[in-house]
Amino acid sequence: MNALYAGSGIAFNYRLGTQTVPALNGVDISLERGGFYCLAGPSGSGKTTLLNVLGLIENMQTGSLLFDGTDLAKISERDKNRIRRFRIGYVFQTFNLLPVLRTDENVEYFLRRQGLAAQERRQRVEDALNAVGLWEHRHKRPAEMSGGQRQRVAIARALAKKPDLIIGDEPTASLDQETGKGIVDTLVALNRSSGVTVILSSHDPMVQARSQHVIGLRDGRVVSC
Amino acid sequence: MLMHLALRNLLRNPRRTLAILLTVAIGTGSLFLFHGFNSGIMNQYRDNTIHARFGYGQIETKGYGDRVYERPWEHWIEHADDLRKELLALPGVRQVFPRVNFPALLSSGRITVSGKGQGIDGAEEFEFFNTLNFESGKNLYDEPDGIVLGVGLAKGLGVQVGDPVTVLARGAAGSMNQSVLKVTGIFHTGIKEFDETIFRIPLKVALAMLQTDRVESVALGLGAEKDFATVSNYIRTRHPGLEAIPFSVLDKVYYQHSVDWLGAQFGVIQIIILTIVVLGIFNTVSTGVLERKQEIGTLRANGESRRDVMLLLGMEGLAMGTLGAALGILLALVLNATVLSNGILMPPAPGITRQFQVLIELAPAMAVKTALLGIGGTLLGTLVAGVRVVRLGIAESLRAL
Repeated sequence: MNALYAGSGIAFNYRLGTQTVPALNGVDISLERGGFYCLAGPSGSGKTTLLNVLGLIENMQTGSLLFDGTDLAKISERDKNRIRRFRIGYVFQTFNLLPVLRTDENVEYFLRRQGLAAQERRQRVEDALNAVGLWEHRHKRPAEMSGGQRQRVAIARALAKKPDLIIGDEPTASLDQETGKGIVDTLVALNRSSGVTVILSSHDPMVQARSQHVIGLRDGRVVSC
Repeated sequence: MLMHLALRNLLRNPRRTLAILLTVAIGTGSLFLFHGFNSGIMNQYRDNTIHARFGYGQIETKGYGDRVYERPWEHWIEHADDLRKELLALPGVRQVFPRVNFPALLSSGRITVSGKGQGIDGAEEFEFFNTLNFESGKNLYDEPDGIVLGVGLAKGLGVQVGDPVTVLARGAAGSMNQSVLKVTGIFHTGIKEFDETIFRIPLKVALAMLQTDRVESVALGLGAEKDFATVSNYIRTRHPGLEAIPFSVLDKVYYQHSVDWLGAQFGVIQIIILTIVVLGIFNTVSTGVLERKQEIGTLRANGESRRDVMLLLGMEGLAMGTLGAALGILLALVLNATVLSNGILMPPAPGITRQFQVLIELAPAMAVKTALLGIGGTLLGTLVAGVRVVRLGIAESLRAL
C-alpha cells in the first residue's frame, strides 16, 4: 500500500466571536491507499474537523498535507473542486440526499457533473445501487425511504463516483444499531471488493471494531493509531 | 442537469413557489397595467392637443411665433390655397386646415368681453377636431354664421346655443368690423385659459372682418405623427420663408410640460414598484435558499463551485421569474379586458377643470419590457439571497440545520 494522505503539524482553529478555539493542534497523520480507518474520540476531540480537512471541506491553517503526493496548501480552489468532484465520495450523518430527485437521480447527479456519457452513468448507477442492495428502490424519493436506506443511497452516490476514498462523518449515528451494522458491513465489503479507501469518524465501538485502523484523537491531537 | 434540478426544486415547496410566483405576477402585472395607464394618459394628452387645438403641427411664416407684431396679418401666409394643394400631395398628409387667430370683443347685447378668435374651415375640421368636448350644441360645420365658444367665455357672456353673439375685430385697414353670429356649440376642453378665451368662427367670416386673404397658419391632419417629418423637410427645402412646428412645441406648456412632468413622476413610481417587487421576492426566496444551506453544502462538498451553485439558483430564479411574469402579463390582460375595459375616471389634472377617462393602453413592446423587468427583478432577488449562502464555507453550510 502507498500513502494516500501524508500530513504533519496540521492545525485548525475556530473563531467564536473574539475567541479562538483550537480544534486541531499539530496532527501528524499518514493514511494508506485501500485502508479502512476510523477516527475515534470524545466530542470536541477534532474528528469532524480532521475529516473536513482531509476532505478539502476546510482549509488547514498551518501544517502540511499531501493528497496522493499533491500539496493541498498549494492548489487552487478550482483544483480542490476537481478533487472533490472526482476523487472523494462523502457520506454524511444526516444523509444529505437531494430531496427532489429520485434514488437513481441522486446517484447519477454528480456523475453528470463529472461529464460522463449516459451509458457509463447508467451502468455506474446500476452497479452502485446493486452494491448497496437498492436497485429495486431506484424510483423512490428520499422521503419514501427509511434512514438506513437513505444512508445506503448516500453510500451508492459516493461509490458511483469511483473515488479514491469515501469519507463518512458519523455515518451510523442517525441509525439504530442493526441498521448501522448493515451500513458498516456495506462499507467494509466495498472496501474489500473495490479497494476504495474508507475514512470514518465514529463514537460507535462496533464501527471501531470493524475498522482496520482506529486513530484516537483527544483535544485536537492524535493520541493513538 | 442543473436546469433539471432547478425545475425540480421549484416543486420542492409548492406553497413557497406559489408565493414567489404571485409576488412576481402581481408586481409584473401591476407594472404592465401602470405602463398601460401611463401610455393611456400620455396618449390622451397628445390626442387632446392634436384633435382639439393644433393638429399634428402648424405651418407659419418663419419666426412668426417668436415675435409680437403691430400688424400681424402682414406676416401671414400668402396664397394659402396653393400651399394647401402642395401639402395634400405629400405622403401622409390627409387634411390641411388654414386658420387665423385674432383678438376680438364679443357682445351678447348686455355683456361685452374680450376673447381670442379663431377663423376655421368648419366643414374641413369637423371630423378631425373631435375632442373639444361639447357640453351643448355641436362643432362648427358649414353654418355661414355659426360660432362655438369655450364654456367660460359662454358663461361670461351669458349665452347658450342658438343665442346671437356680436364679434368685433379690427381689420387690416384699421377699421373695426363686426359680424353677428349664432352660437352653435359650447365646448369644455378642461383647459381653463382655453375655455375662458377661445371662440371659433367660419374662416370666411374672419377673413372678411380682418380684411385680408392671407391665413396665419395651416394646421396639419396627418396619417401618423411620424409623417410630420416629411412635411417639415418639404417646407424647409421648398418654402424657406415658412416653418413647420410640431404640436409638442406649439403646446409646450400644456402638452410637453405635462408629459415630461408625468413621465418623471411615473419613473419614480415605477422604481418604487420595482423595489417592492425585488424586496418581496428577495424576502421569500431568501427563506427558501437559507433553508437549503445543508444541501448547498453537499453540492459544494461534491465538487460544485460557487459559480455552479449560483448558476443553479439563477436558473431557479429565471424559471420562477419567467413563469411569474407570464402569469402577471396574462392577469393584466384579463383585468384590462374585464373590470378595466372602460378605463379609469381620473379627477381633473393640474391646470385642467374637468375629469377625464383614461383607457389603459397595453402594447406588446410594453409587455416584453415589463416581463423583462419582472424576470430581472426575480433573478436579482434570487441571486442576492444566493450570494449570502454561497459565501459561507462548505463546512459551515453542512453544519446548518
